[in-house]
Amino acid sequence: MSAAPYASLKGMSKSFGSVNVLKAVDFDVRPGEVHALLGENGAGKSTLIKMMSGLYKPDEGAFTVDGEEVNFNSTRDAAAKGIATVYQELLLFPELSVAENVFLGNYPRTSAGTIDWKTVREKTRDLLDQLDSPELDVDAKVLTLSVAQRQRVEIAKALGKKARILIMDEPTASLVESDVQRLMSVVRQLRDRGVGIVYVSHRMAEIFALADRVTVIRDGAHVATCDIGDVDEDDLVSMMVGRSIESLFPKQEANIGEPVLEVRNLHRGHLVRDISFTLRRGEILGIAGLVGSGRTELALTIFGMTPAREGEILIDGKLVAITSPTRARDLGIAYVPEDRGLQGLVKPMTIKQNVTMATMANVSSGIFLKAGEEARRALDAVRRLSIRCREIDQTVSELSGGNQQKVVIAKWLETVPKVLILDEPTRGVDVGAKAEIHSIMGELVKQGVAILMISSELPEVLGMSDRVLVMSGGQVTGEIDRADATPERVGAAMTAHRTKETAE
Amino acid sequence: MKLKSLIRHETFLALMLVTALIVLAFQSDRFFTVSNLLNQGRLMTEVGLIAIAMTFVIATGGIDLSVGSILGLVAILTGVFWNNIGLPLPFAAIAAIFVGTMAGFGNGIIITRFGVPPLIATLATLALYRGLAEGISQARSVRGYPDWFYVLGQRDVLGVPTQLWILMAVAVIASVILAYTTWGRTVYAIGSNEVASRFSGLSVEKTKLALYTLSGFAASVAAVIFVSRVSTTRSDMGSGIELDAITAVVLGGTSIYGGRGTVLGTVIGLCLIQALKNGLSLAGVKGDGTIMLIGAVLILAILASNIFERSGTRN
Repeated sequence: MSAAPYASLKGMSKSFGSVNVLKAVDFDVRPGEVHALLGENGAGKSTLIKMMSGLYKPDEGAFTVDGEEVNFNSTRDAAAKGIATVYQELLLFPELSVAENVFLGNYPRTSAGTIDWKTVREKTRDLLDQLDSPELDVDAKVLTLSVAQRQRVEIAKALGKKARILIMDEPTASLVESDVQRLMSVVRQLRDRGVGIVYVSHRMAEIFALADRVTVIRDGAHVATCDIGDVDEDDLVSMMVGRSIESLFPKQEANIGEPVLEVRNLHRGHLVRDISFTLRRGEILGIAGLVGSGRTELALTIFGMTPAREGEILIDGKLVAITSPTRARDLGIAYVPEDRGLQGLVKPMTIKQNVTMATMANVSSGIFLKAGEEARRALDAVRRLSIRCREIDQTVSELSGGNQQKVVIAKWLETVPKVLILDEPTRGVDVGAKAEIHSIMGELVKQGVAILMISSELPEVLGMSDRVLVMSGGQVTGEIDRADATPERVGAAMTAHRTKETAE
Repeated sequence: MKLKSLIRHETFLALMLVTALIVLAFQSDRFFTVSNLLNQGRLMTEVGLIAIAMTFVIATGGIDLSVGSILGLVAILTGVFWNNIGLPLPFAAIAAIFVGTMAGFGNGIIITRFGVPPLIATLATLALYRGLAEGISQARSVRGYPDWFYVLGQRDVLGVPTQLWILMAVAVIASVILAYTTWGRTVYAIGSNEVASRFSGLSVEKTKLALYTLSGFAASVAAVIFVSRVSTTRSDMGSGIELDAITAVVLGGTSIYGGRGTVLGTVIGLCLIQALKNGLSLAGVKGDGTIMLIGAVLILAILASNIFERSGTRN
């Protein structure tokens, strides 16, 4: 445990323009340990990681690797010193095979100088076997692999470069529970082989299960580094946010009213089959299910992105045909999508422009945009959802994940929806913003909005929902009231296949 | 903040234009005269109309390569409708413009309904529409238009070339639309992130369809002005004009990836190119040299614009 650190950073500082994102942060990694790095979005974790992997140069501070001071100019320099990174957005080439990706940039050569494909494939096979992934085909194109498989390819790639330090940036953000377990066992194995691992994650359970030490940074400054045995979850959360958070899932009681959305025997392809449910005013209906169970597809069908082929949708008791998102919006349906960067936001545009994007008719007279009205509404939204920003004319790409998500929610609240569909509303969002989003949901149901919430995080589903709808294989496999919703019951329904009796 | 809003591509471009005008004025005493400059305005109207429509198309991340062929087709049809079919000339022109607009609409349908990338769709119709024009013309040109028709392309109104008035009016209107309307906002949103635009309930398909139709319309109007200016109709008219228009748009700071660009930039880009072409030829530089210089100016302008972009943002 007390081995000398392999890599050690002292007093690292970095500024972008006038913004001081890191202030004299200390950090080190020892061989054979998992060192968790914690902090809210925007705290400076990414910047720190990027310095270690050679993407950014520090303004100040000393970085020593294996006892000698280094000055990385590129990721190649970092790789040469045995530091490899597995990024949140995986950086593989989808059209190339697994083996080609693993050795990309340092292919072994034959004596004739050509690439030695036999060795490439054998070594890749070997690396994957070390990661307990005998099912991964070295000749498969990366685009055919699941996210979890791609991640193991990334890890194999790092090992192929003889990595001594592996930096993992939110490796479980887009994994389902079973893959998370598998990844954790891979991480433990690497640790036992003496690799030092920097583990960035928002999920406390993983950190307590994996980490040996934990470092918390807040607003670019080092808060504490401690052994995991010396702290509990509440300590870490209050270190991260600088205040204590009452409850992660503040379920507020709201009056549940008459049905607002009724779905009957909805069909659309094999991931939306014969789905029926009712959603009432002031209710939060959680949708649980594994990735690929058809949760998002159901949302896209209700939102008109992929219109239903069969079945009925009723809004306020009236039969409606939802043929496009525009139509869905006009009917009072809002959808906060799963992929914030791609589907939720126009990132190069400003907060103001994003907030009014779905409701341009409300901020224009005829065809002309009214600048004053638009600014007023955007300011109002920023205040109401406490979006942290310099000004409403700031581009949303500059905001942290949680604040970006609030901008998407603000955009849809501008439409005054009756039904708000939230798809993974708190994915990639830090604990502080997460609690805020949950309290926004509480406010909305009090005002009579009906919420359909899709989430992969079971505690969130159980904590926030009045009822839970469980999907598997494109069908509803369970509808469970709040009082009866236990992790076991929901979990069982998630993996169930609908039997003939329940299918009528 | 004030200062920052001035440091932008258009400002840099305007400075380049002023510099070019001054330098060229010293090279030839025939360059910086009212009559020469107005005449250059006359010459750049057709490209200008097309470039203004192209600014919208490129701002959505698209492109329209077929405009030159539409111009040729409409020119031929104007002549054929009037000369061979015997329609009165105003109706012949309107009918031809209608066909050209429909040609643009056809581009829009291919792109939005069938999901063909704009580059490929309009590359195909570039060949298709040009082929149609050549087939219809049978290599014969139409001449002998009535005298009143030349008011459009060869005469002045209040001392300024007629078509230059049209270009200026279109530039002002298009500029206002792109900058201040919900429609302009939609164009930028589509160009920046088409998926998110669709997820925000914007009419992505309708907007794109309208833009390609408008691009066809602009090329058609340019065709009639072209015919009036050169007094004759040939099927090869307007070939290559799409590249001149795209050059002006890109020089004007519109991002080829979409999401960024202004009509003002395009108009300055247009003036700069025209000034260089004319000024250099008056100064005795050969045509090849002029083209090379325009290429160099384009690269210089884009590099400078990238530097401004970077200094303004983090990362």
